[in-house]
Amino acid sequence: MEYRYQRVLLSAGLWLAAAGALAQEPVEVIDPQVDRREIVTPAIDTENFEVGLFVGGLSIQDFSSEWVYGLRGAWHVSEDFFFEASVGTAQADLTSYEKLSGGPPLFKDSERDFTFYDLTVGWNFLPGEIYFSEKRAFKSDLYLVGGVGGTDFLGDTWFTAVAGIGYRLLFNDWIALRLDVRDHIFDRDALGEEELTNNVEWTAGVTFFF
Amino acid sequence: MLRCGLCAAALGLAYLPAAARADDDPAVTSRVVEAYIEMRTQPGRTYPVFYVAERGETIELLKRRTDWIKVRNARGIEGWVHVDEIGRTVDAAGQPLAFAAPDREDFSRRRFEAGFMLGNFDSSDAITAYTGWHFTRNLSIEGAYTENYGDFSDGRMGSLNLVHEMFPHWRYSPFFTVGVGIRETNPRSSLVQTEDRVDNVANVGAGVTIYLTGRLMLRLQYKHHVIMTDRDDDEEAGEWNIGISAFY
Repeated sequence: MEYRYQRVLLSAGLWLAAAGALAQEPVEVIDPQVDRREIVTPAIDTENFEVGLFVGGLSIQDFSSEWVYGLRGAWHVSEDFFFEASVGTAQADLTSYEKLSGGPPLFKDSERDFTFYDLTVGWNFLPGEIYFSEKRAFKSDLYLVGGVGGTDFLGDTWFTAVAGIGYRLLFNDWIALRLDVRDHIFDRDALGEEELTNNVEWTAGVTFFF
Repeated sequence: MLRCGLCAAALGLAYLPAAARADDDPAVTSRVVEAYIEMRTQPGRTYPVFYVAERGETIELLKRRTDWIKVRNARGIEGWVHVDEIGRTVDAAGQPLAFAAPDREDFSRRRFEAGFMLGNFDSSDAITAYTGWHFTRNLSIEGAYTENYGDFSDGRMGSLNLVHEMFPHWRYSPFFTVGVGIRETNPRSSLVQTEDRVDNVANVGAGVTIYLTGRLMLRLQYKHHVIMTDRDDDEEAGEWNIGISAFY
């Protein structure tokens, strides 16, 4: 009985193997003459990066408002969003207490350098066009930014949150005027107790797309 | 090459007028084969359509910004067309142009990515910026820079990491990572003077990259760091991060 099953199964297997071998015989009906082409993306200039300089004022909490200047670079990932890195610096003056008391200064001059650097995400939430004349229209964007960074001030580096609003006006495809207002918010304990400080920066800048 | 040149131009080292830039390469042209394509005044979906190029018209592709391509037709009219529409035009040989807006397929085949993360390093606030290059669909190499701000010390850390994505075609793509780096610890200036320290660091971690839309991704990760100090015991630190990044 067992042998009969084996014989049936083996012969069935043999037939299948033979059929498989026959099916593998190449039968050439048509010789394909298709000229295959690579689909390549044409090399055109992409202009998704924006770099520029800014200058303006920085109001440092417990100190006076000072000139600030720096650099920004952005990567536009879509028409709506961009990633931006900024570096800026200002020099803080004496605090009101130092001026009034007439005593020795509380901080060294080198500690009064206010240097910030941050990474933000920007959202062009109000794109628009400005009509200067009948034939001339410039692209504009009102955008919100938010991000994080560090601030070197009074001898330490402080973890800083950045939030702001800005306006970009493109004079042609690659030169833009920028106006920014940003708050640099950080906790600071350099004057004794820990306090939350708001340091508002308002700047104008020129940027270039490439 | 062109980008490097323009980078230098943008930095004010050398200035090239717009016309000189276009002369470097022969013009890329394409032909409209669908009923029409719409040209807008500016690169954005909210801007008005002011001209419609008809079937059979030849257009010259000038430049791309995000998902928009600036084109010029035979009569010299210039406008912006969405990449998906350009992707349905054909070149001189009748082949469709390989242009499309970035989607999930591009996410799973991404070559380059960069982003930044916010997190917690050993119970202190931390920020990380990173960039990665994918040399296969599963493997990538990443450079990361982290700063953390604690009550007693600040730290800076640079690391080089190998990242393995098991399922790069998933929208929620998990990964494992191992890396090495250098960490500098600076005690707070309000403390009694102690020396800055520089130590070697090794880390192991896992996380998930989530495709959002367009080129954007959300990234969540946990890393466990071993800081090899000069003292008797090595320090260990955990780091949680959430961040946003974009790919190219």
